Amino acid sequence: MPDGTMTPTAIASGLTPQELDVARLIVSALSLEVAPEAIEPEAPLFNEGLGLDSIDALEMALAVSKAYDVKLRSDDERNHRIFASLRSLTAHIEKHRTR
Amino acid sequence: MGWSAMRPEAALPLVNRGTAEVICYRPAGPMTVGRLLGEARALAARLPATGHAINLCADRYRMLLGFVAALMRGHPTLLNADASPHRLRALAEAYPGAYLLTDKPVASGLPLVLVEDDTAEEWTGPAPMLPARQLAAIAFTSGSTGQPTAHLKPWDALVAAALAAAERFALRPGDGAASSVLATVPPQHMYGFETTIMLPLQAALACHAGEAFFPSDVLDALDALPERRLLVTTPLHLRALLAEHRRPATLAAVISATAPLAMNMAEAVERDWGAPMLEIYGASEAGSMASRRTALEPDWLPYSGIRMGQGDVHVPGLGAVPLTDAVEPAPGGRFRLLGRRADLVKLGGRRASLAELNRVLAEVAGVEDGVFVAPEDIERNPAARLSAYAVAPGRTTEEILAALRLRLEPVFLPRPLVLVPALPRNGLGKLTRAALDGLRLAMAAP
Repeated sequence: MPDGTMTPTAIASGLTPQELDVARLIVSALSLEVAPEAIEPEAPLFNEGLGLDSIDALEMALAVSKAYDVKLRSDDERNHRIFASLRSLTAHIEKHRTR
Repeated sequence: MGWSAMRPEAALPLVNRGTAEVICYRPAGPMTVGRLLGEARALAARLPATGHAINLCADRYRMLLGFVAALMRGHPTLLNADASPHRLRALAEAYPGAYLLTDKPVASGLPLVLVEDDTAEEWTGPAPMLPARQLAAIAFTSGSTGQPTAHLKPWDALVAAALAAAERFALRPGDGAASSVLATVPPQHMYGFETTIMLPLQAALACHAGEAFFPSDVLDALDALPERRLLVTTPLHLRALLAEHRRPATLAAVISATAPLAMNMAEAVERDWGAPMLEIYGASEAGSMASRRTALEPDWLPYSGIRMGQGDVHVPGLGAVPLTDAVEPAPGGRFRLLGRRADLVKLGGRRASLAELNRVLAEVAGVEDGVFVAPEDIERNPAARLSAYAVAPGRTTEEILAALRLRLEPVFLPRPLVLVPALPRNGLGKLTRAALDGLRLAMAAP
């Protein structure tokens, strides 16, 4: 379970601390059976990558809104890029977060 | 006068509204019935001579445009939103001559007609008439095994359902100012199709064209629509919308379907949004059958023309359609839902049979035994997931999930899939709930 601290595995996984935070948020909000450190930063979040679907997309929007006050949108042309991977989602959050 | 009291007609109008009325709101501005019919006439001329239209358009105006153009040519529309290559191949095999209507490029071997913005001449004069028994659409129930079942929708059945819904929700011409509707469900799903494609064609209602999925999209889009607004959604979306703690624009009503709505959510909408919270009871096979105002009414009031039977329902234009739920009569012509057949589960608006899911799991190479389990809260928790236990020596969960992903709708993928040395089958080979709960606790222990 995420405990908010950096672990040696996390450093070894190639995730930045911000990416690890978002990975923990996703894993806990979606009850995924995967360690946050094990998420490939460049792998697709939906379909073949982590295998997320539209129910997850809504849950993720809720969790990201609560944790970072960042509102995810679908009418956005960049949407495909934002959700392309953990790395792109984290970059979007970092750019728009207010807390 | 209700539909049921009317004589069967040989032909029914494609649009039951004046050409100057607004049928859809696009970012570029309102689209009138005359504009839609004019553009549909131009699009119809570009369609193949015969065939079935697989309408994948996400933009609701273009979905509407493609559907109307196909109707003008006498082509049924296949209500399918799945653009995966294997699904499109399966449809092409089942419906020779099938072609795609899309607003985005799609990689497939099928003939494709792009639905684009057009400057066609407006339609004037009376709306086209369609043969009442023309096959207008085919809906699919997904099933869990990738073998969807087709449900045929003749034009008179769709029109009867739209007029009955318009009567129920006071949307008939003359009932008041034209209403707008925003939906979080795709127009290819039967519920979204009935409320955002058929209703605007037959009742005083204009649909919002854009995609609205995330809570912020939905709330902003509602702000931009004129009054009286309807929000057509699901318990899953309502839960996310209520969590925003932002009061939406004034709503004439909120409508939910696809899964039972929790009472606390119905009460929150009535209290915090000041809007009537209505639920529709429907199924892809029969369409919408009944509605209720959840916070005030425990029982369902059938639509005009709908007669609930034992194990089936009589639907105008369709006849007797089997029901997957048990119902019992209630006072005032209403009925009470007693629940789903135990084997059926419903997630994300899709249905599956646990027995079928178990069969698919058992067919994965290396799996010796396996079982899917539905959580206790599946009827109340919109984000509920199935779990599964499998006996598969030498295989990893990743390998089994990869194999399941090829065969199952994503929402039915187990979360988690737990590998166990053996399943706790009793002397008859059966798995009891208690034994499975014991297994779950044992696997969770350190």
